[in-house]
Amino acid sequence: MRLEHARKPGSRRLVFSVADIQAAPRAAWAVLCPRLLTSGAISGFICSHLLEWQAGRVEDPSARLKFLRTMTQSPGARRLSASGTWRRRAGALVLIALVAAVAGSSHSGLSGANKSVQQPAPVAHRFPAQSPVPAASVWLVERTSDFELYSNGLRIERDSLTTSRPRLARALRRLPGGRFESLERPDPAGIVFHSSESEMAPFEASHAEAVKRQGAGLLSYVRNGHLYSFVIDRFGRVHRILEDSEKADHAGHSIWADSNWVYIDLNETFLGVSFEAGGENEMSRGGTLNTAQLHAGRVLTEMLRSRYRIPAENCVTHAQVSVNPSNFRIGYHTDWANNFPFEELGLGNNYEQPLPSISLFGFEYDDAYLASAGAPLRESLPRSKEEARQAAVRSGLSPTGYRTVLRGRYLQMRKALRIPTFPQQG
Amino acid sequence: MTQAEENNMLPLGLDIGTSRIVLAHRDGDGVECRSELNAFTTIPYTKLTEGVLNKESVPHTVQGQEIVVYGNEAARFADLAHKETRRPMVNGMVNPSEPGGLALIRNIIQHLAGADSGAGRKMCFSVPAPVPGGEDNVKYHESALRDVLRSMGYEVMSINEGLAVVYSELEDTNYTGIGVSFGGGMCNVALAYLSVPVTSFSVPRAGDFIDASAAAATGESANRIRMLKEQSFKFDGNSPDRIQQAMSVYYDDMNRNLLQAMEQAFADARMLPKLHRPVPLVLSGGSAMPEGFRERFEQALRASDFPIELSEIRMAPDPLNSTAKGALVAALADM
Repeated sequence: MRLEHARKPGSRRLVFSVADIQAAPRAAWAVLCPRLLTSGAISGFICSHLLEWQAGRVEDPSARLKFLRTMTQSPGARRLSASGTWRRRAGALVLIALVAAVAGSSHSGLSGANKSVQQPAPVAHRFPAQSPVPAASVWLVERTSDFELYSNGLRIERDSLTTSRPRLARALRRLPGGRFESLERPDPAGIVFHSSESEMAPFEASHAEAVKRQGAGLLSYVRNGHLYSFVIDRFGRVHRILEDSEKADHAGHSIWADSNWVYIDLNETFLGVSFEAGGENEMSRGGTLNTAQLHAGRVLTEMLRSRYRIPAENCVTHAQVSVNPSNFRIGYHTDWANNFPFEELGLGNNYEQPLPSISLFGFEYDDAYLASAGAPLRESLPRSKEEARQAAVRSGLSPTGYRTVLRGRYLQMRKALRIPTFPQQG
Repeated sequence: MTQAEENNMLPLGLDIGTSRIVLAHRDGDGVECRSELNAFTTIPYTKLTEGVLNKESVPHTVQGQEIVVYGNEAARFADLAHKETRRPMVNGMVNPSEPGGLALIRNIIQHLAGADSGAGRKMCFSVPAPVPGGEDNVKYHESALRDVLRSMGYEVMSINEGLAVVYSELEDTNYTGIGVSFGGGMCNVALAYLSVPVTSFSVPRAGDFIDASAAAATGESANRIRMLKEQSFKFDGNSPDRIQQAMSVYYDDMNRNLLQAMEQAFADARMLPKLHRPVPLVLSGGSAMPEGFRERFEQALRASDFPIELSEIRMAPDPLNSTAKGALVAALADM
């Protein structure tokens, strides 16, 4: 019971590399397309696979159908019949549109690609293209009971090490058809950066003892509560509190997502790195991390990203991921809502990323969050909200109704991940 | 706008089948379906009778000296009176022998959707694919239903029944595969590729054919055969019951006829798209519901020379409502 594809006699097999396609100016497609179309095999294969890939990223069934119908129908192909005309015309239109989308994405990231292709609805969440893991791999040079030394100069003190329990390490993998599958992810998927929001004596020689005392007190407090995976004190020392395989209570109710996975309650899947630093008021008074802390943060992030192949986009601040499910507001915690030095740690400006808590799960933000957020994070919020609003329109639902649907999905996904109900922590 | 008002503006999917009319609408995260039998019967008019029917909320209209009971209750009243229900539709289309058929279809839809649910609301309704040589009949049928729904205030679009099954059941293959709806009057088939209908057709041998043939063979009424079929029939080769045996025979006949038509349709479509992988085939419709039907159909398919490679043959999880759900998906996608 096999359908055989018959190539037209006399047709030539044309081969283009993806680089050729991306490099070709759009106008050239007017010349290239007829040749591609007559090749039959190339246009059909590329079209169908590109189209299926794009369609698979649209979660809502109706929205996916709308996307497919938009991409495969045209005035010329409206009278669809079981004829080669269908394949040639649909193939041309799909190939032009999708390759234009791919070419656009090389400049502006995946969100740009989605803009150049008619926006499938609902987009739900536009995932930026993942940056490659740092080329230079970082390796362990020496490990004793007291410290770990890495090839990039990172030294991790182990004298505050304690134990908790293994991370549950389950996340939701996106499947074709808008479905999700709960799977184990043993390796950490990302890093959440925190501020200890602790008392800060002036960082001066005359206050050295106070600074040391406060640091020791912080480590003791963190160790007893299993609050972070690592602490970077004010002298730039990196302290390991828990092994990477163990759960730190750092993120509480939290949400993040990348192009392949959705993460709920990041204690189980992300490492928590806390800088000994002040709270919001300290930051608003211009308090920042010192040079030693920045260097330590950079080499620690580099090592963790290298070891676990963590994309830059999954290195985020607590303010970006923290949520309150009891009222579906983001920002239950707001540390590093502003001024986090992403670039100094070798990362892109992750404040620009849309928040999946808003676009995927219908959370909202309030004035308090807006007040604590810095300009880059504040500017990303309306974009996330607008994505959700457009998705609602395309689904034929009101924004309120669509949010209700998204929130229901959040609760279902928590169930799928078997996340126990703990009081708000982290 | 209240939540209820917002819900009243959501699109609707409508399966107008020979046997049943099913209405699908979005309800939160899911889809809710309501259905009524697409049938009616008449009883003599008396004020007392009318009062009782009103009190019991039995859908009906008064026409001269008769009360016309329609919907699900029609079967019960017809059975009580030992007569057959009458059908506004036959073989998947408006019944030319029932001049009031369209008005009754309108009444049934109004009963399902509510009297004031039109008002510009979008609705997608199902139509059968033409039987070879019957294209004009389908055009009239579609046009007549479109007029009825427009007069109720809906903004309408139509969808092929087999394609509606694809939209309802094959989202995980990006709407690529074969949808088959085993209805009362017709079996509808559609092959779609990435949501595009490549080919579709229908055959007029379906549930009503089985009922009428088994009735003729056993001396029972077609209405009774239908009720037995819906309640207790299953494919069991060893059953001594003659009605069960008769139904099995005519079911096999329906499957053979359908598979022959599918072989011909797919083999004739010389320029079908290159299917890079086997595609699923989904069965739906009330006539596909008897226990063991999927296995029986697969058995018949394996014995045939089917021209397309199939990854699986599966039943729709909700066969009675699959077409309406697919129409709803189409309506939502058209927003």
